[in-house]
Amino acid sequence: MVVRIGSEEKGDCLVEVEPGRDGLTVETKNKDLLEEGIRTVVGEAVSTLGVDASVRTVETGALDYVIVARVEAAVRAAAPDRATPIVPSVDRDASERDRPRRSRLYAPGNRPRLLAGIEVHGADCVLLDLEDAVPLAEKPAARILVKHLLATVRFPDEVWVRINPLDAGGRDDVEEILLGRPHGICLPKAESAADVRALSELLRRVESNRGVDEGGTWILPILETAAGVLHAEEIASADPRVVALAFGAEDYTRDVGARRRWDALLYARSRIVAAAASAGIQASDTVFADLDDAAGLEEECVRARDLGFDGKGAINPRQLPAIHRAFSPTEDEIEYARRVVAAAEEAEANGAGAVALDGRMVDRPVLERARRTIKYAGRLVGRGEER
Amino acid sequence: MRNAVGREIPERIGSRDVEAYRGAFAFRRDGRKVARHQKGAPQSEDKLLPSIDAAIEACGLSDGMTISFHHSFRDGDRVINLVLDACARAGLKDLRLFPTALFPAHQPVIEHVRNGVVSRIEGSMNGAVGAFVSQGGQLAEPAVLRSHGGRWRAVEAGDVEIDVAFIAAPQADPYGNANGIRGKTPCGPISFATVDARHARQTVVITNDLQPYPVYPMEIEQGWTDWVVEVDEIGDPASIASGTLQLTRSPTNLRIARLTADAVVASPYFVDGFSFQGGAGGISLAVTSHLGDEMEKAGIVGSFGMGGGTKMLVGVLHRGLIRAILDGQAFDLDAIASIRDDAAHVMIDPGFYANFDSRGCATYQLDTAFLGATEVDLDFNVNVNTHSDGRLLHGIGGHQDVAAGAAMTMITIPALRGRMPMIRDRVTTVTTPGEVVDVVVTERGLAVNPRREDLTERFVAAGLPVRGLEEIKAEVERLVRPVGRPIFGEEVIAAIEWRDGTVIDVVRKVEGWECKK
Repeated sequence: MVVRIGSEEKGDCLVEVEPGRDGLTVETKNKDLLEEGIRTVVGEAVSTLGVDASVRTVETGALDYVIVARVEAAVRAAAPDRATPIVPSVDRDASERDRPRRSRLYAPGNRPRLLAGIEVHGADCVLLDLEDAVPLAEKPAARILVKHLLATVRFPDEVWVRINPLDAGGRDDVEEILLGRPHGICLPKAESAADVRALSELLRRVESNRGVDEGGTWILPILETAAGVLHAEEIASADPRVVALAFGAEDYTRDVGARRRWDALLYARSRIVAAAASAGIQASDTVFADLDDAAGLEEECVRARDLGFDGKGAINPRQLPAIHRAFSPTEDEIEYARRVVAAAEEAEANGAGAVALDGRMVDRPVLERARRTIKYAGRLVGRGEER
Repeated sequence: MRNAVGREIPERIGSRDVEAYRGAFAFRRDGRKVARHQKGAPQSEDKLLPSIDAAIEACGLSDGMTISFHHSFRDGDRVINLVLDACARAGLKDLRLFPTALFPAHQPVIEHVRNGVVSRIEGSMNGAVGAFVSQGGQLAEPAVLRSHGGRWRAVEAGDVEIDVAFIAAPQADPYGNANGIRGKTPCGPISFATVDARHARQTVVITNDLQPYPVYPMEIEQGWTDWVVEVDEIGDPASIASGTLQLTRSPTNLRIARLTADAVVASPYFVDGFSFQGGAGGISLAVTSHLGDEMEKAGIVGSFGMGGGTKMLVGVLHRGLIRAILDGQAFDLDAIASIRDDAAHVMIDPGFYANFDSRGCATYQLDTAFLGATEVDLDFNVNVNTHSDGRLLHGIGGHQDVAAGAAMTMITIPALRGRMPMIRDRVTTVTTPGEVVDVVVTERGLAVNPRREDLTERFVAAGLPVRGLEEIKAEVERLVRPVGRPIFGEEVIAAIEWRDGTVIDVVRKVEGWECKK
């Protein structure tokens, strides 16, 4: 039986595997320069997998990790009992719990063409998607592709993975992709604290099996159903791994029968912001779906920021500049935060119990927010962001 | 001998003695321009001939002569193929083909080389003809590639003597006036051909739209034209000028465009009177669009934008953000319409914009230009002629002229194309030397030529991601196993002239490929 994985789309690699035979065929448009390198990559992958098989690859500009992932997916599909998953070496540390997460840039986990260079656009979090973007039949191969991407590509900031719901493939997702050590897992359709705890427990088990720092993988629940929004508070405080709540407007509007207008979603957004704030975590707004409506995106970013959100999803790198503009602390905010912190330090030095600035009392939450603003501003200096 | 960019150049190439490249502005030739033989015109002379075959006969075209063409029809040109077919019918041999550029549509040239009608080519070769010549052994002499300005200079200096110039013209009158911006199939300015028309022993205008005397503007003048031929078709309108050029949607290219525009804004040149060269590539169009917006935001009015004209550049003119467009080529129908309608959209020729031997080039007035490339190397040298496999596949265009002229030359190039890294230790061919390149912009950051510390400071202060070329190169090489590279033999396929007529590099025959681990 011949198994085919991947495609001839630009940046991808089509792999055909037939177990029990041997032989390695490489087809590439640029034979003179590329064939030898590709042959080495394929050969190493096959021997790591430890299965005798004939392998034919049609390469169309695929990077090494794509080729390895396609070969692994094909060999494992062809010989599920005999192939051992490849355990790549990964050089990535856990991320800080509290850091700017203004943008989370979605990228489909099954499309090498759209994944190539996804790390260069300056997103605070890149979110590799195994859920909605990936058709059911492609999920096993997408998991493997995402694993190898995670292991190979250096991300200047965070890289996360959106898995499938735990009862719909999410467990297999976690088993595979933790080998690539993402900074966090995005849990779709979170509806209760139990959902989050189930994921946390799974992460703990897999982390310990994989020798990854326990507790080092963060969770971002997406609230995109009526139940999820109503349980925002318990979800936000369900587990120490939860660093933020995200809102998913597409599914939410469908679930409650709303129309996608700002006013119609105001309650859900407000509730999520309040739940996140009360748990001391961040809130991230839904994606803006119309790629060509720059003014609409700009307006929604500003409104979401006004409401208290810390960031927003993006479906294309083009949306990042507007999102970053809206969710970065302004010069005035940074200046005010500096004065608040200075006033607090002065009060402490003087042994004063209360902190005052410009004749007004500064209470604890204001001081904490000021400290965070200064910290974030420091993290954002000299990042080379597009205008 | 080794030239000033460290390339090994033979002392003779074919039948010519070689001057090696000495530096971008180091070489000065002593001499005068050549001029055409004065023939005079009897008052009654009828220039109209019934066919190209008749024109070939009337010109006395014979074996070994040089025939020239322009490329304003780009991949839509029919005239080169029509003329070569007629030459073959006339039994002519060993012609030297001297086009400004050849395109994939000129694949029949290969057959005319094989059957001996053409034995030499001097001109840009885009696509199949370049690949054919790369095989080696096909031409009697190595090909010669020149920039727009370099070709103009070579004709004026007498380096190349044209016997017959065949000039495709979208509109002409029977007395030999012609232009490219009117007629049934306008292609934009045909000013690239004016130097040929003025210097050739005979000049033939070939048109598909013959109108009563006088047609205007008179890009080609009656005083230069010997013969006029009307034919049914001179080009395929669909491939001459596209209705709308496509803005890139590739996130990688859009990021490169954004970073390029941001760097221009951060540069010392972004003030009133600012000038730039826009191009027709996807990245260039996006940069032009961003710059228009940035100028509007900053309240800056530029002095001029240089073509190839595009809808995008015309938009910047119409918004009042630049005072003029200087244009030698038009890439879409909006640009052609604007040349007809806008007094501030000025047609120029390569002599005006790029001739090294003249007393002034428009490119020297440019503040900035953003140019593409097939490869760059750690010395900032740029290759636009050969692919990484060693095959000759592209012309120089105005690359050298613009890069040498602009105060800040930016090369826009993805660090990776598919699995091919585009930053090399050494470029396969040097088209444009690193000494005239200031900034390389990739999706992974900008690299600034060490000569331009001043720009580095500006860019860093603006928060732009300034990085070393080595660093970007290493980053992408983590993603792909080493790729192979060509092993070159001795045979020279083509000489790459610098715009002053010296040889900056040669393309040699590829003997094989090797993959270093």
